[in-house]
Amino acid sequence: MEGGLTLSDSLLSVRMKHRVGGVALNVEFALTQPWTVLFGPSGSGKTTVLRAIAGFVRPDDARIAYGPMDRVLTDTRGGTFLPAHLRPIRSAAQTAKLFQNMTVEANVAYGMQWSSHPEDERQVLQEVLEKMRLTTLAGRRTETLSGGERQRVSVARAVAATIAYDGVEKPLLLLDEPFAGLDAVLRDELVVMLREWLRTWKVPVLSVSHDAAECYLLDAAVIRIAEGQVVDQGPVERVLAEERRRLLQRLRGGIEAG
Amino acid sequence: MDLEALWLTLRLAASTTVILLAVALPLAWWITAGRGVSRALVQSAVALPLVLPPTVLGFYLLIAMGPLTPPGRLLIRLTGHPLAFSFEGLLIGSVLYSLPFAVQPLVAGFEAVDRGYIEAAAGLGASPRRVFLSVVLPMARVSLLTSAVLAFTHTVGEFGVVLMLGGNIPGATRTLSISLYDLVQEGNYDAASRTALALVAFAMVALIVIYLLPSTRKSDGRRADVVR
Repeated sequence: MEGGLTLSDSLLSVRMKHRVGGVALNVEFALTQPWTVLFGPSGSGKTTVLRAIAGFVRPDDARIAYGPMDRVLTDTRGGTFLPAHLRPIRSAAQTAKLFQNMTVEANVAYGMQWSSHPEDERQVLQEVLEKMRLTTLAGRRTETLSGGERQRVSVARAVAATIAYDGVEKPLLLLDEPFAGLDAVLRDELVVMLREWLRTWKVPVLSVSHDAAECYLLDAAVIRIAEGQVVDQGPVERVLAEERRRLLQRLRGGIEAG
Repeated sequence: MDLEALWLTLRLAASTTVILLAVALPLAWWITAGRGVSRALVQSAVALPLVLPPTVLGFYLLIAMGPLTPPGRLLIRLTGHPLAFSFEGLLIGSVLYSLPFAVQPLVAGFEAVDRGYIEAAAGLGASPRRVFLSVVLPMARVSLLTSAVLAFTHTVGEFGVVLMLGGNIPGATRTLSISLYDLVQEGNYDAASRTALALVAFAMVALIVIYLLPSTRKSDGRRADVVR
């Protein structure tokens, strides 16, 4: 594996049963790769799993633990439920909820406030803005942004908070469809940039996606979820081989038809 | 117009508003987050002054603050005088009487804040207190202003509680509404009409201010009624 990231056998272990809407979630998985994607159709329960890890959902029956010390975040049987803000986790939801009373820059800096190294923060903030192509928007008010710009601010905010995190262990970054709504060229650039950059920071990421091309670009481990169950997991080349074949076929078909 | 009564009324309303905001903010946030029987119980207790005759509230406060009850005796020992028929007593009565007018706009404002913003902040590591101060309160700032204006205005307009609790002591408990009552009793209709007109003008201006405020909108675009 490139990047020199050394990880213990299990970064995050999740065992969870939860009934939500019409879906009976029953999933069990462990993260061992720097970037893992929960892959599946909408309505399969991916977002609920992410929200349970973040601490926004109390599952009916679950054990969620994080880090080399196997720190328990949720254990319904043992009566443990760590509040969201105390978890070694930073997250960005699918819909960008930007704080309207703050500028783009203040939004991105929001989760850095509780870091104890304010001198490094400034630099990290500028770097995040630059890498997420937000430098020229830094002073703008959020209501003037386009959908794609809002999405980038939301992801940048979570990334900045993750990098500025103070704890002994690196926090887990949860991203729910972080690249949805971005135009394809910019999306591909950002995907590759984030993959490389977060590796150098040794930040593990769990994201949600239903875009196979994105998973390939991320070189991610893929956990495929369907109807609330984990149906397959492993390296992207194996788990999404069928999607890749269909993607290529579609492209060839397009070329032949053209 | 009785200028001493005007000054007293303004002092009472300002003090009441300050105390009310300090009490109403955490209370409204608790109601917003709460559920079940305890929430209904607290909401009912807060709304009680809306439906009770002010004299009932005044009567109970008179008893509670008097020398016949343990809390009353404690208050007398702490302040050195009975709270009934004093400015402090009036202040306690006003705070209770105007409580729903401060709490309800805040609850409506807090409820209109999309949970997604609260989760976004918590997902960035913000504690509940920080979330409240940096996200919820700025988003509900219109409700905060409404709450303050209503608390102030309602205190200026109270009569029954003041009469029961404070009586009619110039400079200590005689507010504008009591002064108006006195003027009518004396048959001084000229002065009475000036006082009444001042009260009407003040209330009207306050309400215009509230209705000119940008409305708090819920995430689905419906207007959250801050004035109920």
